[in-house]
Amino acid sequence: MRKTFAPGNVAIAEGAITAGLKFYAGYPITPSSEIMEYLAERLPRLGGVVIQMEDEIASINAIIGASWAGAKSMTATSGPGFSLMAEAIGLAVITETPIVVVNVMRAGPSTGVPTKTSQSDVLQARWLAHGDYIVPCYAPWSVQEAYDLTIKAFNTAELLRTPVVILSDAVIAHLWEPLVIRDEKEVTIINRKVPKEGEKALPYKPDPDLIPPMPIFGRGFKAIAESLTHDERGYYAPRDDSYRALVLRLHMKIFKRLDQVFDYESYYCGEDCDYMLLSYGSVARIAYLAMLELRKRGHRVCMLRLKTLWPLDEEKLVKSCSARRIIVLENNMGKIYMDAERIFRDREVYPAPLLSLELPSLRDVLEVINTWL
Amino acid sequence: MAMKTPPLIHPLDKHLRLDRVPTMYCPGCGIGIALGAMFRALDRRFNEGLLDPNRIVWVGGIGCSARATLYVNYDAAHVLHGRAIPFALGVILANPNLQVIVIGGDGDIAGIGGNHLIHAAKRNIDMIVVMITNFVYAMTGGQVAPTTPVGVKTTTTPYGNPEPPINVVKVVTSLNANYVARASVTTPHYIESFFYKALGMKGFRFIEIVSTCPEVYGRHIGLRDPVDMYNELKKRVKYKQKPSIEESDISWDTGIVIGEFLERNNPSYLELLTGVRGK
Amino acid sequence: MVFNLSALEEPYALISREHGKFRVCIIVNRCKECGLCIAVCPTKVLVKSSVINAYGYHPPEPANIEKCIGCRLCEYNCPDFAIFVERVG
Repeated sequence: MRKTFAPGNVAIAEGAITAGLKFYAGYPITPSSEIMEYLAERLPRLGGVVIQMEDEIASINAIIGASWAGAKSMTATSGPGFSLMAEAIGLAVITETPIVVVNVMRAGPSTGVPTKTSQSDVLQARWLAHGDYIVPCYAPWSVQEAYDLTIKAFNTAELLRTPVVILSDAVIAHLWEPLVIRDEKEVTIINRKVPKEGEKALPYKPDPDLIPPMPIFGRGFKAIAESLTHDERGYYAPRDDSYRALVLRLHMKIFKRLDQVFDYESYYCGEDCDYMLLSYGSVARIAYLAMLELRKRGHRVCMLRLKTLWPLDEEKLVKSCSARRIIVLENNMGKIYMDAERIFRDREVYPAPLLSLELPSLRDVLEVINTWL
Repeated sequence: MAMKTPPLIHPLDKHLRLDRVPTMYCPGCGIGIALGAMFRALDRRFNEGLLDPNRIVWVGGIGCSARATLYVNYDAAHVLHGRAIPFALGVILANPNLQVIVIGGDGDIAGIGGNHLIHAAKRNIDMIVVMITNFVYAMTGGQVAPTTPVGVKTTTTPYGNPEPPINVVKVVTSLNANYVARASVTTPHYIESFFYKALGMKGFRFIEIVSTCPEVYGRHIGLRDPVDMYNELKKRVKYKQKPSIEESDISWDTGIVIGEFLERNNPSYLELLTGVRGK
Repeated sequence: MVFNLSALEEPYALISREHGKFRVCIIVNRCKECGLCIAVCPTKVLVKSSVINAYGYHPPEPANIEKCIGCRLCEYNCPDFAIFVERVG
């Protein structure tokens, strides 16, 4: 364990190193570039490889290839680059490749405001590629949590053989805070299941946990990474039974481990409250301050902060709090609000879209909340 | 799902996933000829003891040629259209002990994947790229390709292709590749010897294989019969020892020069990365 | 002829003929009747047979096997791994 002072981008890079990152491919883009710059210096000394690719499409395809060759791999980008990665997210899903993709959110659409923050990619992270699938998605609210959730993201990716998205934002990326970097032995590190050497493995035949052990290239498995809809052998199978079996399993393998994937934190939710603030990422920092301020003024307010933005454990969320009124604070036009409206359908759910290029001030947030109080 | 293992009959059967043979290729498609020649080159390297079949990875994007990855009895990846090269780059950098073979058509490698091709050659990254040129997008039904000659009528250029073709050999030789050669499916022995040589080298190795597509391209140019198309291509193919880059333009009128356009031993990406060579 | 019709139901049916030096074998159900082997043979060993395989194609047969010089051009130019030449004795 060592204590340091670092920005969020460095925390993500350090978290990846702790988790066992061995291959990083990326393309420079504000505000994520420091992740690659930091890793370019650190990772080669630890036996890993960092390469700057020709574009984000190449970056994500390269890390999928590296993962099939046995390396834990990651890329980081921001909105425009993330959009370019869409097709390959689908490739990672259908080939069941563990990878971690960091999207340091900035304001869009299009080039938008490269240097300023946003939370508008929340649904993009969920449904980036075409087809039916679930990609777990984490959103840190502090530098320390950027580090912790990166480790968790790698663990989820390796455990469930799935791509995982980390949604940071320009505020977390460049915010300096104390950071505790742990040794490998102080944290739980999950590594993917691999068939036994010499065992002839069907590359997509699942164990009872619905996860097939991953036949790494170069070990005699004659593995197939197949982007077509396939059967357990990895052979193209354009038939209803195979298609349904594959798509259902891709969903169920993640739902089955919702306990591992889903995480949140609540503050005063056990109390009998009138209002609950629902927030995540950098905006949750201000929402938290707002809650404290409102409580000081005598309001009965609690707060719930999502660490996992997808998939959501709806049962847990419903049971988490009994407040009748829920205010969803987020730095976009109201995206998690749509989920909240659906999940808390018997309660009053209010949007609080902030659309702020900087981290909103406490006054801004209180003003928005006040419209609903 | 349990299948009876088919017996090995043909001398190249051990290279094939026999439960997927016959292939989906049309009758007379040149890709099978190219694949057979590559298998024979691999056999020679295996017999020399210099190459381990378990360390070979085939990577293909999308298209008829890339689909060869479905039939090879090795570690294989059938990935996204145009993205075979970056995928292969990830594989080789994560495990430098592997030998990565990228196979794809001209649309896959020089069209949608053209930028990746350029940068892989520029990096001299350790992989063999085999581009099978059939002058057309065959799997999608005969649309114009980056290598389609001017004037050819395709399904998307019904009045004739207005664009001159890209000479991929010229593009790759202008970069930092270590080996650039061109063969034709009418000369399988050259495919074999070029691929054999490539297997023994480091860095970026590029082999273009001019192929026949009687079913789709043949229809466009009036050579629907596999034998006719094969013979017409054969007439135009000229082998040259050490041909110059200037001779590399593919022309149905003046002929198609095959041979080894470039062979050198620049430090490869892996060698530079691991400090084996270089400064 | 070395094969009979019942052999066709056998998925790995072979047509094979040999003379003193070489044997030419055709894996019946891999052939797609492209005709390349017949066209490239320098001594005209092969002709189209009357056999219909499982996919409806006529595989070749080495009718003039005595002319075979063992050059293997048919094997090298077959896109479907359907024909090969073996040295005998």
